[in-house]
Amino acid sequence: MAAEAHKQTAYARGMLAAAGALALLGAGLFVLSLSRLDAWGFSLPLFLYGGVGWGAPLLALSGLITGLQGQDGAGAAVPGTAWLAMACWAGAAALLALGTRRRSRVDAAAPSEASGAPLHPRLATYRDFYWSTLGAYGGGILGAELLLVLLQTWLAGAVNLAGATVEDGGPFSLSPLAAFSVAGTAAAALALVAGFLGAVRSKRLSIPELTLGLLYFGLPVPLLLTAVAMSPDLSLQFGYRLREVMYLASLIGRPEASFWLAYAGLVLVMVLGITCGFVATGSGRVDLRAGTELFIAGRHVNLLRPRFLLGTLCVLLFGILPPLLLYAVLRAAEAAVERTRIRALGEKDPLAASEALHAWKLRELTPTAMMTSLSVGGVGVGVMALVIVLSVMSGFELDLQKKILGTNAHAVVMKYSEDFSEYPDVAKKVAGVAGVAGVTPFILNEVMISSEGNIAGTIIKGIDPVTIGSVSDLPSNIQPGGKLEWLTHPEQVAARLSLKGGAALDEKPARPEQPAAARDPVLDDALVQLERSPGAGKQAVLPGVLVGRELASSLKVVVGDRVNVVSPLGGELGPQGPMPKSRPFRVAGIFYSGMYEYDSKMVYIRLEDAQSFFGVKGVTGLELKVADIDDARRISRTVLQALDGYPYRTKDWGEMNKNLFSALRLEKLVMGIILSIIVVVAAGLIVATVIMLVLEKRKEIAVLKALGVPDGGIVKIFLAEGLQIGVAGSLLGLVSGLAWCLFIERVGIKLDPEVYYIPSLPVKIEPLQTAVPVVIAILVTFLASVYPALKASRVEPVEGLKSE
Amino acid sequence: MSFLSIRDVWKSYFLHGKRIDVLRGVSLDIERGELVSLVGASGAGKSTFLHVLGTLDAPAAGRVTFGGQDVLAMNDAQLAEFRNRTIGFVFQSHFLLPEFSALENVAMPALAQRRDRAASFKRARELLDRVGLSARVDHRPGELSGGEAQRVALARALALEPQLLLADEPTGNLDPATGEGIHALLREVNRDLGITAVVVTHNEQLAQSLPRRLRLQAGKVTAA
Repeated sequence: MAAEAHKQTAYARGMLAAAGALALLGAGLFVLSLSRLDAWGFSLPLFLYGGVGWGAPLLALSGLITGLQGQDGAGAAVPGTAWLAMACWAGAAALLALGTRRRSRVDAAAPSEASGAPLHPRLATYRDFYWSTLGAYGGGILGAELLLVLLQTWLAGAVNLAGATVEDGGPFSLSPLAAFSVAGTAAAALALVAGFLGAVRSKRLSIPELTLGLLYFGLPVPLLLTAVAMSPDLSLQFGYRLREVMYLASLIGRPEASFWLAYAGLVLVMVLGITCGFVATGSGRVDLRAGTELFIAGRHVNLLRPRFLLGTLCVLLFGILPPLLLYAVLRAAEAAVERTRIRALGEKDPLAASEALHAWKLRELTPTAMMTSLSVGGVGVGVMALVIVLSVMSGFELDLQKKILGTNAHAVVMKYSEDFSEYPDVAKKVAGVAGVAGVTPFILNEVMISSEGNIAGTIIKGIDPVTIGSVSDLPSNIQPGGKLEWLTHPEQVAARLSLKGGAALDEKPARPEQPAAARDPVLDDALVQLERSPGAGKQAVLPGVLVGRELASSLKVVVGDRVNVVSPLGGELGPQGPMPKSRPFRVAGIFYSGMYEYDSKMVYIRLEDAQSFFGVKGVTGLELKVADIDDARRISRTVLQALDGYPYRTKDWGEMNKNLFSALRLEKLVMGIILSIIVVVAAGLIVATVIMLVLEKRKEIAVLKALGVPDGGIVKIFLAEGLQIGVAGSLLGLVSGLAWCLFIERVGIKLDPEVYYIPSLPVKIEPLQTAVPVVIAILVTFLASVYPALKASRVEPVEGLKSE
Repeated sequence: MSFLSIRDVWKSYFLHGKRIDVLRGVSLDIERGELVSLVGASGAGKSTFLHVLGTLDAPAAGRVTFGGQDVLAMNDAQLAEFRNRTIGFVFQSHFLLPEFSALENVAMPALAQRRDRAASFKRARELLDRVGLSARVDHRPGELSGGEAQRVALARALALEPQLLLADEPTGNLDPATGEGIHALLREVNRDLGITAVVVTHNEQLAQSLPRRLRLQAGKVTAA
């Protein structure tokens, strides 16, 4: 507007220079105080906060804490220098404000002839800042954060980590994810409603209030949580109260990331509420109806043409380039044919030819139509990529989980002491706990295993063949040719016969080299039986062992072969220290679990054999299978409660494989965020498209306003246009993504089994996870259309209607 | 209390850093059912005055009252609703929405007020009939001639039964014969429906034929 040319910004240069110098001095002092404390990690968020004024109270608080903990010197140094730094910054800000002023030239001129005339009411009530809106936004974000933290702690915190009921933990004991769903929904609802009410009050988007509210009321909670996570001192102080929140946050590996993700989510929800509030009150009262606006928007963005939708779907399904090339070729051919036809027609009937030419020109795409198709395609590509990648990653995760949980237990019960011989009673008690589906005892140790061909280090597990099936998939993993029952009945294992003469290949009549005093009773039994047996050359009955497929191939053994198991512990004391204990076993079966680590490192023997081999009466622990995998933590805590806690302890599979699964989750999250960049780029394209639509229809907006459509209605129209593009793109992307997933599942993309241990690419379509990209895409496109829609509503009727 | 009353209205424009005062303390009373013409030199500010009359533009100072109700005290949304209910506009260009048919264009004001769809379309058909265009209801503005489009614009202006009709050089783009048809329609509407009308025009013939004549000169409105 030409009116702005009247005003000039008058800079008081001296003041600004002083402000800059003071700010630099403040920064220097702050760096000094930080280096004295050697406390960069903890102080970095405070440093950032110092710039906006919260730094001083937070630093004072931390100084108080360190002072209370009795650290001399450091505690006193913090407030001193840092207070000075804060004072410098406050002074710099004040000088900056004083030194910059806009002085209007009009003030200096003589009053106009209209002075004294009645003032237009709109000028008299010109107002830009609503305190109530600031209160709504600030209170909303702070309230939402506090609600999230408190509800999460309350809902999931009835039982503490040691298994005892916590007095102040609250009545519920939901699994952490269930508690988060409830708490998250409640907090989001609060943020949404607060944003809505604030915007209704101010009837504008109110960016200043939003910025101030988010900065001053929203940032402290995530900053404090990050500080607690990163600083050991604060962890000691507050970590226990916030244990549920910390546990949930660390499920993706880095707690800090979770806090800021949650904050960003709440901010987005509040912005959504604000947009809805502004749009709804554009007509002066809350008006949520949008029928006419949708009708107008639908005519502007003509998306429901079958050819267009089908074409975009084909482009998404078959890769982007081939269909586009095909389309270009077809159109060029069509154009050539039509032009020839028109020319031929023109030689006979010029008027008909010009009519045909006019009709042909009408079929050309306008620039906005092309941009609309590009936007729809862009959103579709983003959603499709997200759906496919997330489903494939879920497939890999599920496959891994199945393999791990097929071989390993869902939870284990162990004892802090060495001696766990009362395990049959404990097993009975544990089996009675609700949620436990199977119990089996086990012994775990590290041994060496040797065959004729090779030697390998392995982990040996003594199992109870009767109950192992209720806890693990081992019975079904055993390859044909071997049997689990042969562990209990080793005499049924047939030795591998040699090619010549029927004598068992592994028959060595020599005795093992062991000092006479440490005779192995089992082996002696076997040898006695051998000597007693009727036929010479009959094989010795050795205890059975189950060996993994990889290990079997590296040891070059098959079912029936004899191997020696050597344990470094438990032997007699010899001249150089404890002598290793060795015992022969016969391979009773080969198992294939699908995971290289288990197939190459684990061997299984009978529990009783293990007890006698290692010379113990008890077991290492009890393995459990639970009915609900996701609730394993809670069930294992209940088990611990049933056993009255100490000296027993429990671990669930999440804890035991925590690194692996949180790495997987973090990877999925990061991949999702990176792929969401496609959606963000597509949203930028939508912003451009809607801006072009607005520019194209400036006159129409003016006419609509003259016809009585209020500002809010205009915003609704263009929001609806952007939203239509987003919804169409998301749905097309969802359909093509699901189609590709089904294709991968049914037809399959082959993988090299040697490398990947999976025959083909795994896919798991999780409904909730598949809905997330669609929802995010629609939300992002909605937010992206807000700015152009607002700009559209600013078109003055008179500006647009001025005749040229 | 007069139907439309303007007191001491000031309005200026800004061009290249200079302030140009277009209306300088204009005061005027218009009674219900009057048919008024406004003439003046080119660039005198007739359109500006009409926009202020129709509350499309806000004056820098002054009061605009409709039947005693101060329109400038309303906020944007209330003003939009009031304008929609009370005033109908016809401009020099027809300003019809190009992507909608003639019927939809005439029904648009009622649809914007969220009135019943069936009733809106029925009334639109009646209005198009009154202006003599029942054969053209489904044509888009691009498919209508200038005169036909202007008649659709007039029908649209009457869609919500306004009390005031403001026409800014309605026949400026049309040839004399077609223009005469529009003038006849205006007179008909004023006579049959009792709608107050203010017509800005260059056409001396039309100006002479209307009962009340005003002239805008040097920022002041006087009887002509």
